[in-house]
Amino acid sequence: MIRQLLTQAARSEHRATRIAIVLSMLAAFASVALLALSGWFLTGAAIAGAGGFASAQAFNYLLPSAGIRGLAIVRTLSRYGERIFGHRAALFALADVRPALFARLAGTEANLALARSGGEMAARLGSDVDALEDSVVRKVTLPGAIVAVLAGLAAASLAGWAAALALLAGLGAMRLASWVLSRRLLTVPSRQYAEALNALKADYAEYAAGATEIAAYGLVPQITAALAPKIMALDAARLGIVRAETLVQGTQLVLAGISVAAVLALAAGGAPLVALAALAGAAAAESWSTLARTDMESLRTEDAIRRLESIAALPSRARAVSSAGSTSALSITNEDRSLSLQPGGRLLIAGPSGSGKSRLLGTLIGLRSDAPEVIAVDGRDVRVLGLDALRQQFAHAPQDASLIAGTVADNLRLARPGVTDEQMWSALDVVCLSETVRALPDGLNQWLGGDGARLSGGQRKRLALARALLAERPWLVLDEPSEGLDSATESELCRRLSQWLDATGTGLVLVSHREGLRSLGDQILTLISPED
Amino acid sequence: MPLPARANANANGPTRTSINVAALWWLSDTAGAILFAACLAAFVGRWTAGALSAQAGWLLAGIAVSGLLRATVQGQAAITGQRTAGCSKAMLRTQLLAALLPTGQVRSRLIGEDLRVAIDDVEAHEGLIARFQPLRLAAVLSPLIIAMAVACASWFSALILLATLIPFGAGMALAGLAGKAEADRQFLALSRLSGLFVDRAASLPIILAFGAEDRITRQIGGAAREVAERTMQVLRVAFVSSAMLEFFAALSVALVAVYCGFSLLGLLPFPAPEALDLEHAFFALALAPEFYLGMRRLAAAYHDKQQGEAAACSIAEALAQGRAALPEPLGAPAAVIRMLSVTALTITYPDGNRVGPIDAHWEGPGLHAVIGPTGSGKSSLLNAMLGLAPGVSGTVRFNGNEEPPGTLLAMTGWAGQRPILLPGTLADNLLMGGASAAQPALLRLLDSCGLSGLVARRGLDLAIDPRGSRLSGGERRRIGLVRAIVSDRPILLLDEPTADLDARTARLVIDVLEQVAQTRLVIAATHDPALAARCRSRTELS
Repeated sequence: MIRQLLTQAARSEHRATRIAIVLSMLAAFASVALLALSGWFLTGAAIAGAGGFASAQAFNYLLPSAGIRGLAIVRTLSRYGERIFGHRAALFALADVRPALFARLAGTEANLALARSGGEMAARLGSDVDALEDSVVRKVTLPGAIVAVLAGLAAASLAGWAAALALLAGLGAMRLASWVLSRRLLTVPSRQYAEALNALKADYAEYAAGATEIAAYGLVPQITAALAPKIMALDAARLGIVRAETLVQGTQLVLAGISVAAVLALAAGGAPLVALAALAGAAAAESWSTLARTDMESLRTEDAIRRLESIAALPSRARAVSSAGSTSALSITNEDRSLSLQPGGRLLIAGPSGSGKSRLLGTLIGLRSDAPEVIAVDGRDVRVLGLDALRQQFAHAPQDASLIAGTVADNLRLARPGVTDEQMWSALDVVCLSETVRALPDGLNQWLGGDGARLSGGQRKRLALARALLAERPWLVLDEPSEGLDSATESELCRRLSQWLDATGTGLVLVSHREGLRSLGDQILTLISPED
Repeated sequence: MPLPARANANANGPTRTSINVAALWWLSDTAGAILFAACLAAFVGRWTAGALSAQAGWLLAGIAVSGLLRATVQGQAAITGQRTAGCSKAMLRTQLLAALLPTGQVRSRLIGEDLRVAIDDVEAHEGLIARFQPLRLAAVLSPLIIAMAVACASWFSALILLATLIPFGAGMALAGLAGKAEADRQFLALSRLSGLFVDRAASLPIILAFGAEDRITRQIGGAAREVAERTMQVLRVAFVSSAMLEFFAALSVALVAVYCGFSLLGLLPFPAPEALDLEHAFFALALAPEFYLGMRRLAAAYHDKQQGEAAACSIAEALAQGRAALPEPLGAPAAVIRMLSVTALTITYPDGNRVGPIDAHWEGPGLHAVIGPTGSGKSSLLNAMLGLAPGVSGTVRFNGNEEPPGTLLAMTGWAGQRPILLPGTLADNLLMGGASAAQPALLRLLDSCGLSGLVARRGLDLAIDPRGSRLSGGERRRIGLVRAIVSDRPILLLDEPTADLDARTARLVIDVLEQVAQTRLVIAATHDPALAARCRSRTELS
């Protein structure tokens, strides 16, 4: 699946890729030819020069010396172009892969998509896709290296078939050695490194959780000592990787040296051709050895591809059979009681932490399905209706606010397509936040979080609430919306929200343990902790 | 306190030396290049002169050996660099552990954020020390060595090579400046856009809840293309530098070839500065590509530099913040605490959430409870008294004197929700708090906490698994409690000492606490009504 995605993405950039490949071949040819021609020219010039003035005059020096200068320029320009087009192709191809992977993730069953932590998904879309960049850029190097080899072989064949065969054998040995050695030598230390890194992170997280004990008892030296073996294992594995890489690359150098010596040993013909063959062989071997890097990177790339495959292969979500009506009644039944709400009804869910309030809300809006209660919309079980139907009914303001990185407006526009500025301001009015937003340097266009403005926890929650209001769904689902508010603001929020609910006829499902909001609920469902 | 920026941006003495050693290995690589060029030149020269047969074998062996020499030397350079980076990483990790581990709560950073700095950034820093710095030193010196070697054969060729350095240096400086300006111009936009992928993946639940996935996918697509576009703008300028390098590398070969060729032909348009023969000319030509090799290697390590410097910045920042947040050890610890009180103690988190103001007064010795619903700030209060919470204001007094938070640290035995376990024996783990208790007393205490089962088989020598996987939550909690008791400190601060325990064991623990509280001030944050009922006072948070 992921390979299919990559091929598709690469197709959209095939022009840039083709140009990059052509330029890479040109650059490789120019590099080999530059050295070969220089060697031939120099030797030929020496022989001609030794023959006296007449033979020096007879030697055609204009063409080769112009060729040398020309090749130097061709090599520079084509190398520059290769880099530009190669990176352009890779960057834009991967720019298509990221949204495709995200769409795949967002289009699968919610519980599958949300089973992975946000951090893990972010790492997949970020660093794993980045790891592919290198491999895409390197694709261009293979045709270049092949052209370098062909040019080298052609040059060597001028000094006889034996020299050419010797070069071919040497280059073949280089490829084989690189391929075999990088697999043999790198697999184990790479795995050890990954394992040591994970073990060290797990230990660090474990110790960091005991910060107070560490400070009170001065445990830093003991912890440093306890982590020392893990760190040594990590550094040893990293050194093992470097050793293996130097062995792979070193073998390339040794074989290249032997190849050139063999070309010289078997070369026949005039001295200029021998010089040409030797220098062309050396240049070809140098180009060819860059493929060793690709072999060494391939382990990393394959790992990234394997991890990305787990996203690319996610099944698509089953489409909703039919959506529920535009305004729907709601019923919730648990062991103790059963309650039903007409459209526009208001329900307060109470209970201690750990009693499953957020789980109930999550199941209600279709993001999960593990609440023990039986929940029905218009008499149909929410687990049957599915996410696509349920999210037409419910607008959710979660406990952690869940703002996205972006501007105030970006966050509000998430609610539905086509939200106007005017609608945003009136929603901000309802949640008592319009003055705060007006006071921000860029107003609605203020970037939030990270390198932008910081809102307090209570302000973030109210922004999430405003977003839920803007969604214009028949039901509003709020999880602790007034946490972190002073009581004056809370009661004002409560008053305005109640007015808004009345004016729009929207229903409410509210989780809160604050006294100030209790008046919003017409019915109360109290959940109890399983252990009580 | 040393400036943290200096501690890692510039390597200290021993590291500096071994960076030089790695650079020396990279420089030695030129010896292989010189051997190759010399043997090849002699071979071609003598072939032409028809005087080859005697030395042919030696010269070919020299060419083959030059490969081996270069492989060995380059390998040594890489390994030496890696070892140096290993030392530098170890030093950074030690500094980071000391600054970050005790202060996570004070800086109110997530463990994951600290972990990224203490482990991932230290790894990312490696390339700077292992590769970039030695290569930079070698890149400066290796052209000079090559030029000297070339000068032995043809001083004019060496002069040509050196002369190309002047326009090259000027061009690189200009391209470098332009590249940096372009990178700076795009930096904020690029980091915001790359952050976008991370953020949207993490925000998937809310995106699904509003059915916004199609819009967000389009947005990610647009952003991804914009990242590509902007990255290309940076690269386009950056590649000018490498093109310049390529150009001068190719130019130096071409100029040496053309000069030597015309010199051999005797057709130089100016008076010949030196008498050349083929062997010397060929030697100069074969070495010419090596002249810019050091700089090309350096350019290839540019990514190491960028990544390493970014990591060094974030390490320096974390070290500075961590060190500033370390509670300072103050005053001599008191042996007995008669009273401890807090007035208007307030903890303000960076996101604006606040706990407090809290007023409380405890008299010692005695057992006291802090009660209140989850999230009311019980743990925060205990941490704040030790100076281990962010944005603490208000006063802490003990024995009648006002003291800065942090003074209590050395006087307090702490038992938290998840006590630390270190690899070692059970005794090691129990005595971590400093004081040494006699073995019989320790065994008695373990027994009275209901832990006799734990010591039944292997006694105090029981090996403890660092991840504590073989201990139950309740056992682990009581190990922390025993540790706090045997630390012999006059104050004990306990976070939920009876959670995870069955009623019978909880009763045992409460008995122990009551007994300890006869001589010390014990304050427990708790949900347990049985414990609260046996306390001398109850401070309620809301």
